[in-house]
Amino acid sequence: MLLAATDLSKRFGGVAAVRRLDFHLDPGEILAIIGPNGAGKTTVLNLLSGVFPADEGRIVLDGTDITRLPAEDRCHLGLGRAFQVVQPFPEMTVRDNLMVGALFGARQRSLAEARKRTEEVLALTGLSGRAAMPARDLTLAGEKRVEMARAIATSPRVLLLDEVMAGLLPQEADEMLAVVRAVRETGVAVLFIEHVMRVVRDLADRVVVMDFGEKIAEGSYRDVTGHPKVIEAYLGTEETGGA
Amino acid sequence: MRWAGPAALVVALLVPLVPAGGYQQYVVQVATFVLINAGVALAWDIQARTGQLSLAPAAFFGLGAYAYTIAALRGVPLPVAFLLGPLVAGAVSLGLGVVTLRLQGLYFAIATLAFAEVVKVIFKELPLDLTGGAVGLTAPPLLGGHQTGLYYLGLCVLLLVVAASLAVRHSRLHYAFTAIRQGELTARVLGVRVVRTKLLAFVLSASLTGLVGAYATSRLFFVIPEDTFGIGLSVTALATAIFGGVYTTAGPVLGAIILRSLEEGLRMVLREGYLAVYGVILMLVILYLPGGLVSLWNRRARDAAGGD
Repeated sequence: MLLAATDLSKRFGGVAAVRRLDFHLDPGEILAIIGPNGAGKTTVLNLLSGVFPADEGRIVLDGTDITRLPAEDRCHLGLGRAFQVVQPFPEMTVRDNLMVGALFGARQRSLAEARKRTEEVLALTGLSGRAAMPARDLTLAGEKRVEMARAIATSPRVLLLDEVMAGLLPQEADEMLAVVRAVRETGVAVLFIEHVMRVVRDLADRVVVMDFGEKIAEGSYRDVTGHPKVIEAYLGTEETGGA
Repeated sequence: MRWAGPAALVVALLVPLVPAGGYQQYVVQVATFVLINAGVALAWDIQARTGQLSLAPAAFFGLGAYAYTIAALRGVPLPVAFLLGPLVAGAVSLGLGVVTLRLQGLYFAIATLAFAEVVKVIFKELPLDLTGGAVGLTAPPLLGGHQTGLYYLGLCVLLLVVAASLAVRHSRLHYAFTAIRQGELTARVLGVRVVRTKLLAFVLSASLTGLVGAYATSRLFFVIPEDTFGIGLSVTALATAIFGGVYTTAGPVLGAIILRSLEEGLRMVLREGYLAVYGVILMLVILYLPGGLVSLWNRRARDAAGGD
């Protein structure tokens, strides 16, 4: 196991956003977390990446307990995170956005090393042509790509992706799929949250389904989509994809 | 803009040599004030790049000034007393930074403002034979008070601040500072050690401000709490940087040259009320040129990574 969460819980006021959640991620695996809006998926990523601390439970990354570590330490240990609400550094160029991840991520790099890494990731993510553009001038699809590229630039062992396909045209989503697959080929494990079911079907080795903060099913795409609890949670509405 | 820096340096070196008749001394004096203002504004800018609005330059300027004066009056060799300026300011800023840099936005600004006022009051109330109270102290001049020599010393001090500003701009720190300014949480998730980086910027900036403070005192020959720790000094620092162009090296220097010359010119022409005109000009530039003067001839400055 590369990453494991045990008995993970988080409350906001009286609301249990995540309740006693257990899951793990194997090396080189692509795991999807799906579930209806408000199921607690993004909260799970925030707990994993250290945006806020868990109330209970444990998170272990490759044998190291990271439950109480601040976000920057988790990044140094190999957790890369792309946000759902894209947060590019608006006045920096696309290239410099990636530089931040390359310089300070899981590997501390010199300027020269980081520049090299940045060019590699720009090419991998198809952003080379837009490298000199200020991030604020990008389209949503471009911002999503930068968000993911920046996380990849940190050289993570686990890449956490929060709805990086949402709002993209089918062709743009396909390009992102190809990038995620290419990253996995380099030995990176991926944990992603997604509403677009076609993406989940095509990309995930395994799926965890959440509802009201709890895990209600786990298994292959075929297994979980046939699960009665899952069908109930979704009321069949999102089965055909599209979110 | 590659020629601008060397050209400015040549002009700066020539200032005391230009024959200006009866105005010679006055020109060198104004030029010295430009060096001081530029140094404080540029030092302020370095830490502003992390997105933290400090209103404490006056405190660190004053600490540097008093450290030099008190040490020099007690027989410490002048060069050593001079170096105590940046050391004392830096050490105090380290303590203040540890306490306040976790505060966000306005809260940090207000904490630094409060700190500056508290330091001023403390120096007024300390034993008279140490700080001279509200009247202040007479400071021993460096270089025997030789005006031209002191001008060149000021130029060296400013060049040191410029070197620090450029070094930050061309190092990994530039990316860390800019990332923190534009999205602190995102910077953390990307591995930037935010608190440590902000602290580094704060201490570097304060030390340089303390150095300029020590220099200014060795040139002005006195320290007075109301002036040396005055809020006006902090406001001038940030107004100068914003006027010239924040997050750049050229901006604060250019801002100091123009604002200080403008101030002197207006004072000669208008006598009373020159500050009103000065204020209006400042407001117009800030309103219509948010990137400052440098954005005029370097539009790319605002598009490139967080200011070029």
